[in-house]
Amino acid sequence: MVDAVLLVLREVLEAALILSLLLALSSKLQLSFRWSFFALAAGLLGSWLLAHYAYEIADAMEGTGQELLNATLFCAVIISLIFINLLILPLAFKPITNIQTRSQPIVINHHQLIYGLFIIIVSFSMAREGSEVWIYLSGYTHDPDALSSALTGAAIGAGIGMSLGAITYYVFAFMPKNVFLPVFLVVITLLAGGLSMQIAKQLMQIGLLDSGAPLWDSSSLVNEHSWLGELLYALVGYDSRPAPIQGLFYLLTVAPILFACIWHKWRVRVIAHE
Amino acid sequence: MKRLINSALLTCLFLCAVSKAEVPTFTIEIRDHLFFPSQLTIPANTKVKLIVINSDPTPEEFESYELNREKVIMGGAKAIIFVGPLVPGDYPFFGEFNPKTAQGMIRVEN
Repeated sequence: MVDAVLLVLREVLEAALILSLLLALSSKLQLSFRWSFFALAAGLLGSWLLAHYAYEIADAMEGTGQELLNATLFCAVIISLIFINLLILPLAFKPITNIQTRSQPIVINHHQLIYGLFIIIVSFSMAREGSEVWIYLSGYTHDPDALSSALTGAAIGAGIGMSLGAITYYVFAFMPKNVFLPVFLVVITLLAGGLSMQIAKQLMQIGLLDSGAPLWDSSSLVNEHSWLGELLYALVGYDSRPAPIQGLFYLLTVAPILFACIWHKWRVRVIAHE
Repeated sequence: MKRLINSALLTCLFLCAVSKAEVPTFTIEIRDHLFFPSQLTIPANTKVKLIVINSDPTPEEFESYELNREKVIMGGAKAIIFVGPLVPGDYPFFGEFNPKTAQGMIRVEN
């Protein structure tokens, strides 16, 4: 049962944290929470489909289907995160007094797009992680005793994951808006960077990219087996021994966001001077 | 400049083709939630292809933090996982769905 708790917690944590962050953003921008129901439903359905067709997916593309599909899902989530970042950016760099008034028109112009991006981010993350839970549980269908134990463990793991998500939501929701937006931008930039390392990992696993000696080894400092390691992995894609190519993917993801930030800051300054 | 890029790309392609052709292959079998062999020795600084055959009817996830790899292998299916090039040392791996029994290690030697 303990195995089930840990496994499900690991799988649920990332999606729960992402969902909480986006719900906190919705609350700050006075957006409806209704998108989350669509996202959860799509995520649940997606996870079941991925588990149901696991054999076919694994066999596709000469046995690289699982990795290529994961990489595609990661890629869609990263692109959506970057889009969200670019949409939020103008709000974060406005003077504090203007945030309240300026936030309205921008969000209203793009609110359909924002809802769509939210749904992609949450449902794709949920589908990828959730499918492993279905596959795990499917191994116990012939053993009712073990299945009930695994289900209990899964429920506890999911409960802990969702509680951590709820705590994250309240931490972010209680931040003042002028603090929340920059913090949110930093967190989702790190998240996007972390996910890009996962793409590199998938491509290394199928031999498309070479691993090389790790850039560093921080496993003695924060081990990925530890609680802190798991939390950091879920939140910023922490890797204690990243390959050089993973570092490159990270930089390529984070760089456009940083450039956009610098460009916005520069523009705000130019406009202020005029 | 264009010629330089072209020749660089060609070299890259050639190296990729060469590296693909000479990848040593090792097989690990999962049976009764155990890995056979549970310890595998592979050469250092070499990209290696692992074929993991799951002979159990239940699914398993091959996972290793040290190798930076994770892959779900359905019951009765096989999976291909590339690892390395690695520096000499011990790299534990485990089955995430049955971590109590499914434990193994890859020893990398010169």
